[in-house]
Amino acid sequence: MIRSMLGIIDATTHMEDLEELTAHRTLAALPIGGRYRLIDFVLSNMVNSGIGSVAIFPKYQYRSLMDHLGSGKNWDLDRKRDGLFFFPASMDDANTSGIGSFNHFSANMDYFQRSKQEYALVANCFTVFNMNFTPVLERHLDSGCDITEITNNGSSLEIYLIKKSKLIELIHSRDDKGYTCMKDVVIDINNQLKICEYEYNGYAEKINSISSYYHVSKDILKPKVWNQLFIKERPIFTKVKDEPPTRYTSTGEVKNSMIANGCVIEGDITNSIISRAVKVGKGSSLKNCIIMQKCTIGENCHLDSVILDKDVTVESGTVMTGTATSPFVVRKGTVQGALMNS
Amino acid sequence: MGKKRCVAMLLAGGKGSRLYSLTKSLAKPAIPFGGKYRIIDFTLSNCSNSGIETVGVLTQYQPLVLNSYIGIGSAWDLDRVNGGVTVLPPYSESSEVKWYTGTASAIFQNQNYLSQYDPEYVLILSGDHIYKMNYEEMLEYHISKQADASISVIQVGWEDASRFGIMNTNKDMDIIEFEEKPKHPKNNLASMGIYIFKWKVLKELLEEDNLNKNSSHDFGKDIIPLLIEKQKKVVAYPFKGYWKDVGTVQSLWEANMDLLDETSNLNISDYNWRIYTVNPNHPPQYISNDALVKESMVNEGCIISGNLEKSIVFQGVTVGKGTIIRSSVIMPDAKIGNNVYIEKAIVPSDITIPDGMVIKPNKDVDEVVLVTEEMVNEMIS
Repeated sequence: MIRSMLGIIDATTHMEDLEELTAHRTLAALPIGGRYRLIDFVLSNMVNSGIGSVAIFPKYQYRSLMDHLGSGKNWDLDRKRDGLFFFPASMDDANTSGIGSFNHFSANMDYFQRSKQEYALVANCFTVFNMNFTPVLERHLDSGCDITEITNNGSSLEIYLIKKSKLIELIHSRDDKGYTCMKDVVIDINNQLKICEYEYNGYAEKINSISSYYHVSKDILKPKVWNQLFIKERPIFTKVKDEPPTRYTSTGEVKNSMIANGCVIEGDITNSIISRAVKVGKGSSLKNCIIMQKCTIGENCHLDSVILDKDVTVESGTVMTGTATSPFVVRKGTVQGALMNS
Repeated sequence: MGKKRCVAMLLAGGKGSRLYSLTKSLAKPAIPFGGKYRIIDFTLSNCSNSGIETVGVLTQYQPLVLNSYIGIGSAWDLDRVNGGVTVLPPYSESSEVKWYTGTASAIFQNQNYLSQYDPEYVLILSGDHIYKMNYEEMLEYHISKQADASISVIQVGWEDASRFGIMNTNKDMDIIEFEEKPKHPKNNLASMGIYIFKWKVLKELLEEDNLNKNSSHDFGKDIIPLLIEKQKKVVAYPFKGYWKDVGTVQSLWEANMDLLDETSNLNISDYNWRIYTVNPNHPPQYISNDALVKESMVNEGCIISGNLEKSIVFQGVTVGKGTIIRSSVIMPDAKIGNNVYIEKAIVPSDITIPDGMVIKPNKDVDEVVLVTEEMVNEMIS
């Protein structure tokens, strides 16, 4: 029975408030937690819930997403039967307001019709959580609902479980009924369907702005949250890299921080998340920072409440300061000089 | 199978008895090294980086971990349509299993594997050394010297020379004499246990050696002397760079410490010569408010709440509050309690060190401590 769900991930979402971090990449591929991309959470949850066939529906800037997912091997989804599927939208597709565009699905009906799974889990790509979907299916079967919507603290997580034949019906009748996506169906009080809610009690946060991205990143540093997200039996899978372990020298001090592999840490780091292959020079201090892959920070730099996107170079002596509600965001691949901000 | 110019045979059956409890349940090449790797990763990565894509790995002693670790070789990019990695355990011929009695007999018994690739050259490697070497350069040297066999050699200190197989050469680097652990060495060029042979020549020698009842079927003891005796052209290939045989607790610890020494030649961060490994999936390491990490290497999946100094910490290790770890190697998934003191020690995988335990070398001998379950049990009782 656990094999009877399809995993459908809507990776078309674009958030205006995240423009600085998503200009070069789709939201699903946004780096988070030092070594992950946003999509890793929902994708790993699906795999850990026994889902063996996952379809990803991307639209914008999905090169980095494809590079990240590859054949799906890291999620054990490079399979002869089922596995990982990729269905990019055509660019002239109209945007929908919610998760699970029926137009986008209808262009790929073969996938729904050919697969043997009876149920489909339609999910967004931007929620940070570690959740088992198996009990959702059990409840769905017991309760005889048409659609089960997963909620957290009473508000929708925009993840829906539906019988596949019902989903196909909705896709076919989308023009008659005026539904563009799953959300349209659920919020229509005249939908004549039995809609149920499944309340998830664990940690689950949606990333929809720089401030929520920053807030969730800081959450990950709390052991209480960390313990709910990184569970040995239900790992969050990601693309693994051949980086050596991180090296600490005698000159730095690190407190309350998460550090990925391949870094060389010669400075002080507090309350920060440091991604893979980052270099932090002598005499520098980083507080409340999110530093993405392969950034190089020179000597005697002072960064507080800063988000550095990938491949940023910070020249020695640079000072950058943001605030807890509005962190200083530096775009991918740029060079930050000491004189620029003085 | 397509013809291959050069096939590597990696000897990975070593028991490593001088590593005591570390090799109780796994072969020496599978021992964790450098915070993330296993010893054999260095040799397999060298193969991959040198463009040697066909590698037979000969396993025998405690092969379970090693066999499943190597798998189809994808971690080293050695899962190939033609060639790639093949694990070669001993197998039974007619009624009895023929164990590999020596390094040479292991190759002899796998002639069929080699023949299917019809190679011109065979590269013999050992899975228990830490070094980075371009085998392609050695092969070019072997070809340019028109040698029957080439032996990679490294200069060792004169005081250490009597611990190695020493090659005495003429000025053209032809080997004229081989002395196994000589009391009075005439030279300080030690064999690294890396050989390239013309396959035709090696095949003949192996057949002859196999019939010799007095032979121990070992490359160093039997095959090399036989080559010299038959006046084959045997040349020394001088290697410069980091190379260490990690056959003892002391040398294993030293090689780990060399990673922390910026003046040592052992660089594992070179993107042009990556050391590949099977990457376990762990979250980033978490360094807590109570931790102080200095001059150390730490891998993913660790939760560090104590002090680390000059130490190597593998994936999945937890270190409790008030704990001090100095000049030590902590292997994967070890759980170190609170207020523990560890100095100059190797802590094996999966072990739990109880709160307050003190581990340090005996003052008189100052030997590296290899922590064992027995030591922990003694502490608890």
